[in-house]
Amino acid sequence: MRWLIALLVAAHAIVLFAGFFAPYDPAAQNRDFSFASPTRLHLRDAGGKLHLRPFVYALKDSATEAGGYEEDTSRPHRLRFLVTGQGYKLAGVIPSQWHLFGVADEGRVFLLGTDRFGRDQLSRLLYGGQISILAGLLATSFSLLAGALVGCVAGYFGGWPDRALMSGAELFLALPWLYLLLGVRAVLPLHLGPAQAFLLVTSVIGLIGWARPARMVRGIVLSAKERNYVTAARGFGASGPYLLRRHILPETYGVLLTQATLLLPQYILAEVTLSFLGLGIAEPTPSWGNMLGALQEYHVVASYWWMFAPVLLLFPLFLGYFGLAGLLQKRMQTYAN
Amino acid sequence: MGSFNKAKVCKAVVIVCLVLLGSGRSSATAAQPIAAGEEVLTSNAEAGRGGGRIVVALRAEPKTLNPVTSGDQPSREVIHRMIGDLIHINRATQLTEPALAKSWTVSKDGRTYTVHLRRGIRFSDGQPFDADDVVFSFQVYEDEKINSPQRDLLVVGGKPIAARKVDAHTVEFQMAQPYAAAERLFDTVAMLPKHMLEADYRAGKLAQAWGLNSPASSVVGLGPFRLKEYVAGQRVVLERNPYYWKADRKKVRLPYLDEIVFLFVNSEDAQVLRFTAGETDVISRLGPDNFAVLEKDQAARGFRMYDLGPGLEYSFLFFNLNSVLPKNSEGLAQKQKWFQDVRFRQAISAGIDRSGINKLVYRRRGSVLATQVTPAYKNWIDAAVPQPVRSVPKARDLLQRAGFKWASDGRLTDGAGTPVEFSIATSASNAQRTQTATIIQDDLKELGIKVNVVPLDFRSLLDRVYQSHDYEAVVLALGGGDVDPNPQMNVWLSNGSTHLWDLGETKPATPWEAEIDRLMNQQLTTLDARQRKKLYDRVQEIVAEDLPLICLVSPHILVGAKATLGNFQPAILDHYTLWNADELYLKAKP
Amino acid sequence: MRIAAYLGKRLLRALVLLLGVSVLTFVLAELAPGNFFDDMRLNPQISPKTLAGLRQQHGLDDPLPVRYGHWLRAVARGDLGYSFAYNSPVTPLLAVRARNTLLLAIPAMLIAWALAIPLGVWSASREGRWPDRVTSSATSFLVAVPDLLLALGGLMLAVRTRWFPVGGMEAAGATGTGDLARHLVLPVTILVLSALPLLVRHVRSAMLEVLEAPFIQAARGHGIPRTELLYRHALPAAANPLTSLLGFSIATLLSGSLLVEVIMSWPGLGPLLLEAVLGRDLYVVIGSVMLSTLFLLTGMFAADVLLYTLDPRIRRPS
Repeated sequence: MRWLIALLVAAHAIVLFAGFFAPYDPAAQNRDFSFASPTRLHLRDAGGKLHLRPFVYALKDSATEAGGYEEDTSRPHRLRFLVTGQGYKLAGVIPSQWHLFGVADEGRVFLLGTDRFGRDQLSRLLYGGQISILAGLLATSFSLLAGALVGCVAGYFGGWPDRALMSGAELFLALPWLYLLLGVRAVLPLHLGPAQAFLLVTSVIGLIGWARPARMVRGIVLSAKERNYVTAARGFGASGPYLLRRHILPETYGVLLTQATLLLPQYILAEVTLSFLGLGIAEPTPSWGNMLGALQEYHVVASYWWMFAPVLLLFPLFLGYFGLAGLLQKRMQTYAN
Repeated sequence: MGSFNKAKVCKAVVIVCLVLLGSGRSSATAAQPIAAGEEVLTSNAEAGRGGGRIVVALRAEPKTLNPVTSGDQPSREVIHRMIGDLIHINRATQLTEPALAKSWTVSKDGRTYTVHLRRGIRFSDGQPFDADDVVFSFQVYEDEKINSPQRDLLVVGGKPIAARKVDAHTVEFQMAQPYAAAERLFDTVAMLPKHMLEADYRAGKLAQAWGLNSPASSVVGLGPFRLKEYVAGQRVVLERNPYYWKADRKKVRLPYLDEIVFLFVNSEDAQVLRFTAGETDVISRLGPDNFAVLEKDQAARGFRMYDLGPGLEYSFLFFNLNSVLPKNSEGLAQKQKWFQDVRFRQAISAGIDRSGINKLVYRRRGSVLATQVTPAYKNWIDAAVPQPVRSVPKARDLLQRAGFKWASDGRLTDGAGTPVEFSIATSASNAQRTQTATIIQDDLKELGIKVNVVPLDFRSLLDRVYQSHDYEAVVLALGGGDVDPNPQMNVWLSNGSTHLWDLGETKPATPWEAEIDRLMNQQLTTLDARQRKKLYDRVQEIVAEDLPLICLVSPHILVGAKATLGNFQPAILDHYTLWNADELYLKAKP
Repeated sequence: MRIAAYLGKRLLRALVLLLGVSVLTFVLAELAPGNFFDDMRLNPQISPKTLAGLRQQHGLDDPLPVRYGHWLRAVARGDLGYSFAYNSPVTPLLAVRARNTLLLAIPAMLIAWALAIPLGVWSASREGRWPDRVTSSATSFLVAVPDLLLALGGLMLAVRTRWFPVGGMEAAGATGTGDLARHLVLPVTILVLSALPLLVRHVRSAMLEVLEAPFIQAARGHGIPRTELLYRHALPAAANPLTSLLGFSIATLLSGSLLVEVIMSWPGLGPLLLEAVLGRDLYVVIGSVMLSTLFLLTGMFAADVLLYTLDPRIRRPS
């Protein structure tokens, strides 16, 4: 459990402090280097001499391959660590100019290649994580909040509110969410900045998913309601809201946490799918979804393998979440037993 | 044991017979010998050899085989191989030439066309073709209840062209006003078989006729091919029309090919894969990325790729200049004050890196545009309009003169101190539009303008442009129908239905729009080509100056075909690869 | 009598749900602006009058309740409406596409279950030992890979190695099961890989619970051989949660493969729905949503029926 959490924390930290780890601004276009393959790090130069510090060569247009690039061995650039580069705000708050690594101004180090506009894929991967994970977190919170609310009401009051709410839940589970989202995106006013539009869409994704958490919470509330200590408290004159807050809700926390670890990757995936279909966060903001969206074109899949970059962080993150969810579920089962 | 074997052998024989019979049924229909008195048109193309079939991919299934009601591209691709028209535009020369009409005369006032039909021509079912069919066809096309998308093309001066039968092989057409290049209107107006469709027409059911599931013998036309079979979800197969009225120089009746098979392959990427695998013979209208991939392979795989240069399509950025805005849009009304200042638009135009768009979005397979007239309009483009070059200093100067200022953090603000920020809406399903908008966004950042790119699904986008007028700026493209200004009238007339930046006006909103109206209406009825050019030149100069549409790039027409395809003459006009399907043939393998 | 009442109630609820979904879908379709004929507006050669005529011809200008009423009446006759994009009635269109999706989804489901049960049982029976650990790690690994990535990876494999056809359902002109089979391999594999981990886990956890039960210990004490013990005695007892899972598998037969179909250009219901939503092909959208919901409800209903017949505890009055 411990190393899993450590892995997740490390991955999130890298994404949170993307400004430091990323050498470039994710929106900075290098129009001369469209679809450049990852820059190779060298220790041995063209003359055969071994250098202590790694370096890269500048790129120039390839003489043999139309649209390709080759290294200009006359212009090496040393890779430097802890450089000052373009300014950014660390975690969106603290202005800073430090970057983990970089090269001199005229050189470019694209460790994961570039996209169509010549934008550094590594920087976009890191910044993109911010958007995708934020989307996941937001949607998960909305979903759990709404679900918990509905579940509590349904479970506590029972009777027809319960039946009505649960039928509603079934209805929502039956609808294809993709269709709902397309409709929502279309009616959003245009003057919303991309950030606000994004937040709105994410909230909607989250709200749509209230059904499953609601059912789980309802189940727990139903069983908790009958517990002896709850009946006793009621006998002492405790009011409904007090019971809910003090005795019943705490029962749900375990389930909610487990649900959170399961829902988070699903909502990240929902954002990725939406962006993949072209309806997610707007340009030039990167997200793992719109980065993967480039892979819809055959020529990209055929020729530019480095565009699969988002997998590098997406996959370990998902591994972490699902692993954590599994462990939490096991722990809850042992408690129940 | 022995009887068991005999039964098996008998069964095998029966199966083999059936197979042979079955394959026999699919043999091609041979062309009819040329009858005496049949006035066949002789083609100028290189003489080829008969036989064989080609396979072509269609982006979507056709919706119908009815020439009158078809509005979508895939249906038209199939239908146009089965129809004949009176006067046809040769896609290679871009000039009109006689088709079913062997000659015609024009009255001095340009309003009356007397057309003489070829004699002895027969439909694909062997029935004769004459003036009755012509009059019937025009009647059907122009019938308001049928709502044919081609109807509006045949309306001149507010009234549909009147067709009148003079005798069995002569028809007279009357127009309400003289119309420049009226001959070009007859292209792809299919001559319909009265003997097949009259009953449906009288019963009011013509719009439903000739759906995809119609029996092959009922779909009758004058084109080089006729319907053979349709397999839902997979393909449409056309076979040679044995009565086709064209022959080659050696008096062999065309077409050379036995069959054309249209496969339904719903994405460009899938089409590229099939073409590479040799499953299709022709690939049309490729995107530049896929073209680059195919170009690399061409020698090795036995096909040739062609970059035909710019077509008629032009992409552009335009601002919301509508006078009627949605309610609760004070923000939009305020931004419109910027958009309506011509210096603002000129600054935006000067700030856009069109060659960057050409390089990154179109891989240099595009042509930078100054106005809506692409280099494909060879006889129309105004050489006096300068090519736009990106100039940030010029843009800054224009903005300054328009009263904009730069704040200390570099943001552009207007006279009242509001930061200049607007959204560009694009179609989410068209990657090139969004990519173009991304480049514009990055370009305008240098001027301190913040641009939001908003991809919307296409229908929502159109709804905002046409209905609610709730948008700020949009990147779109329009395609020309023909190498002539007339099909674009509705874009430039103030009350036109495609006057995108300001829809729903009955009167011109600005003096320069009034001027464009005047010029366009005048060139519509001017018959002298040089005079028309002068008028249209002036229109281009106004567009370049006042920028209702900030034109960006015109993509090149990119096609490919197997090296074994003879007489392949791709053109920049629709249909780029199959317009001369009657002359295509398969070369012998060396 | 009791089973009839129970099932009858479930059926009624299913119908009401179906109706609710249809109303909601219609309303949402109304919210999204634009209609099918909008893209003809960009053609400067077609007048607005013609477009208005076309819209009226197809009844697109009628108010919402009127259109819903027409549709409801048509459905009662078995007519699901008309597709503007394909110029054909919706029913045959949906039938073909649904068949294609099922051609993909049913083999995938069968193979996934055929693999999941032995794997889950094996892993549960050797809990804690290396077969279990290997299977658990493998499933943990696989469950983290979203099917989007699996599909993209499959596509890339096909493009680079050319061992499999790159997408699509059939090669040009070729018809025959051999060709279909070759096209099925990659999409079915992707679907199986995406469904397998969760199935294995559930089978395993259900088996683990049953294996704790006293009657299993007793059976083991009696010397019943292991395979017979697992499959004849333990597995049926674990039927309860597994039946719900089976119901869920059936329920998502039509809707679960949307992304894979889109990426691999498989002509199924997924791409049709996506295209129809984007193209405002109203009746195709509603028809597909209805069909998917129908499958969903059938799956859950089938699970209920199975559960009722298999598990005596449910038959007893609560």
